[in-house]
Amino acid sequence: MREARIYRFLLKRFVYALITLFILSVLVFGASTFLPGDVGRNVLGGFASQQDVDIFNHAAGTDRPLVTQYVDWVTHFVQGDLGTSFQYKVAVSSLLGPSFTNSLKLAAVAFIILVPLSILGGAIAGLRRNSLTDRVITVTGVSFTAIPEFVTAIAFILLFGLWLGWLPVTAAAPEGANILTQVKYLLLPAFALVAVEFGYIARITRSSIVENVDADYTRTAYLKGLKKKDVIGRHVLRNSLLPTIAVVATQVGYLIGGLLVIEKIFNYNGIGLRIFTAAENKDYPVLQSGVMLVGIVYLVATLTADILYSVFNPRIRFGGDE
Amino acid sequence: MERDPLKRLDEYRLTQGTELENTLIDEFLTGEASRADFLRHASVIGLSATAIGAALGTAGYASPARAATRAVKAGGRLRLGIIPAPARPMEPHLFADHGTLATGSICGEYLTATNADNTLSPSLAISWKPNKDGTQWAFNLRQGVKFQDGSPLTAADVIATFKRNTDPAIGGSALSAFKGVLKPGNIQAANGGKTVVFYLDAPTAAFPYLCSNTTYQALILPSTYKIGEFAKGGTTTGGFKLTSYTPGVGAKFDRNPGWWGGKTPLDGVDATYYTDSAAVTAALLSGQIDLISQVSFADSRALFGNSKVQIISAKGTPHREISMLISTAAAIKPFTDRRVRQALALTLDRPAIIKQLFSGLAVPGNDSPFASVYPSSDPTVPQRKQDLVQAKALLAKAGYAKGFQVTLTTEKYIEIPQLAQILAASAKKVGIDIKLNIITSDAYYGGTYDGGATGRGTTPWLNTPLNITDYGHRAVPNVVASSAFKSKGVWSSSNYANPAFDKAYDAYSAALTLKQQRKYTGIASRILLADTPVIIPYFYNWTMAASKKVTGYKASAIGTMTGLSKTSLA
Repeated sequence: MREARIYRFLLKRFVYALITLFILSVLVFGASTFLPGDVGRNVLGGFASQQDVDIFNHAAGTDRPLVTQYVDWVTHFVQGDLGTSFQYKVAVSSLLGPSFTNSLKLAAVAFIILVPLSILGGAIAGLRRNSLTDRVITVTGVSFTAIPEFVTAIAFILLFGLWLGWLPVTAAAPEGANILTQVKYLLLPAFALVAVEFGYIARITRSSIVENVDADYTRTAYLKGLKKKDVIGRHVLRNSLLPTIAVVATQVGYLIGGLLVIEKIFNYNGIGLRIFTAAENKDYPVLQSGVMLVGIVYLVATLTADILYSVFNPRIRFGGDE
Repeated sequence: MERDPLKRLDEYRLTQGTELENTLIDEFLTGEASRADFLRHASVIGLSATAIGAALGTAGYASPARAATRAVKAGGRLRLGIIPAPARPMEPHLFADHGTLATGSICGEYLTATNADNTLSPSLAISWKPNKDGTQWAFNLRQGVKFQDGSPLTAADVIATFKRNTDPAIGGSALSAFKGVLKPGNIQAANGGKTVVFYLDAPTAAFPYLCSNTTYQALILPSTYKIGEFAKGGTTTGGFKLTSYTPGVGAKFDRNPGWWGGKTPLDGVDATYYTDSAAVTAALLSGQIDLISQVSFADSRALFGNSKVQIISAKGTPHREISMLISTAAAIKPFTDRRVRQALALTLDRPAIIKQLFSGLAVPGNDSPFASVYPSSDPTVPQRKQDLVQAKALLAKAGYAKGFQVTLTTEKYIEIPQLAQILAASAKKVGIDIKLNIITSDAYYGGTYDGGATGRGTTPWLNTPLNITDYGHRAVPNVVASSAFKSKGVWSSSNYANPAFDKAYDAYSAALTLKQQRKYTGIASRILLADTPVIIPYFYNWTMAASKKVTGYKASAIGTMTGLSKTSLA
């Protein structure tokens, strides 16, 4: 009975994800198709003749009915055939694959720094509520969150890259570089991301900690005679992590697919920059498959968050999922 | 003991000199052509080094000095930043943007090479000669050249390359350059395969330029070449071999040990593509790269005047055309009056614009495509200067003493938005109120190009009353003059039509001697100054930035990077 409920919960979440993906595919296809400009004109340039543009569009199939184009694209996409790039005339998978891997690497480095740091910062601020430490952590976090990431990134480049000369100003390590060198190249963009995200995650953790410190069960735990470190460790921190997990999971999609500005400033061939370039050049096969890939990442992250949340919070798993 | 140069020159003229060569020598000795113009034109018509030396000696000049041989530090890999990244397939006959042509030219070579001073040098062809009227050009191929896969360079390879670039059925990007000049079947091998002869559609004095890196698509590939093979490497003859290419990321090149030019000082080149000028600027300043393929003063001011950076530039003809639509339904009334067009042109302070936008690395334009950098341009045509009093008087005569309002449409591309603002501010001084409509390049070149009420489609750059369009470098003014200024030109944003200009242009195009060319460009330029369908405020230099350790690199005005084979790192 209990296992059936778990499966039903997971199945429901999975079906929701599929429906979301379907809606996303329609939106992505529709939005890219209605982008201003013409594929053939864009690829061949402003000085090409209209006849050449028409021939290109016919060969690329962009002059077919929209429904036909959509069905053709989706059919191939689900079979793993992402098509051929209009811009580069190579397989889309050969472009998106390395870009996606790069995005994963940057996200991983940022994640490893961000999650412990922001949870620790939020926990300290929450446990020392209204102290100077709390105010310093909160104000610093909010300030960095409020500053646009391109400003933070450029400031870091100037400070750590050009003036102090400690870190490389571009994120891509030379070919064949070992893991340590790759991490070194990724540190500056990762710091820029941490600066933007720290305040958000730390604030959620802090408010959760504050809520749980004031909760009745915490008072009961103290009255039972438990030591402060046990109360904090076993009860407060554990319960406070629930909302933090949800927030962190939703940021995974952003850290992988939403870093266009950071990737551009640090000249990093991530999935965000690849999608942006494809949009600029009307490279629909790359654009559509790239956005779908990021969409899948978002959904997987959200699904994972749901599962983790349910693991930590049985109320959701066994009846509260409605 | 060296013989008297006059005797050598006479001997050459009597025994070998063609009529065309003898005319050029006469023009030089009588002072009609300067030393620089003589050297440029001599390189175009294929005058031998012996004859050039004798002519210079006769006129009292020293022979052109060969570059002093100096020790260069061998080895090392140059880290190159190419901006922007290739936007098209890495396929030579489709090259049409800086990223592709810069990458392809690191490993590829052409029949001839256009130098930074617009002279031509031998490359895969060691010499070339036209027939009497310039309708046939014979190129003698360098012997012993091998492609990087080991196969020898033959006439068949050259013929196949030019066939691919001139065949409309293949649809290459160089068709506009060869249209009306060369048909795909009109190329033949001669002299036992050591010579290739081009039979042209019409006399074309500038044809050797069309075989150089300025027609960057005409990179010589093997006759067995199949489309799609270039990015795999090994299909070219240059000093470097392409070993890897990743779209949007970069390319790697290693030294070609079998290069006919000897051993390149560099072991290799690692090219990284950039999309953001701030990123590539920071990369050079932090020492992560050694050379940037192009920089603009507008976007990368931190590099100019920086003690760690050297600015390398080549005089060229990239320019902007401010077009006033004068004869379609979209034309607005003031611009149908040439006095109004002249008035707008007179509002611009061109030297100040050049200083502000290019830090001086440009020359003033004179509202015609015949830039002063071309030897064929008539230097006696008066330069248009700012004259607000005359501009106001012209507007008053045209019935617009109080000015008028117009919208300027243009693209967000390098310094063009700043130029648009400068034009609006300048025009304001004589009462012309210009509203700016700055759109993306996609939107600016978007829409249809034919049909509709005017037959010019809907694209903004051909259908708005006032606009600014970007033009790249050309080794000769022919393509821009015929496409953007001649009647019914396919790029004519102004829709200008004047039979007198057409006649002067056709006469220039067929003229083989410098004297004749200048005569007709003079006529054509004066007609354009009077009619002013287009304002060309400047022609700017191709500008690059490098760290101080890069030595020996000479820029090309078109942005090709063949010069890397002679570059070293100090």
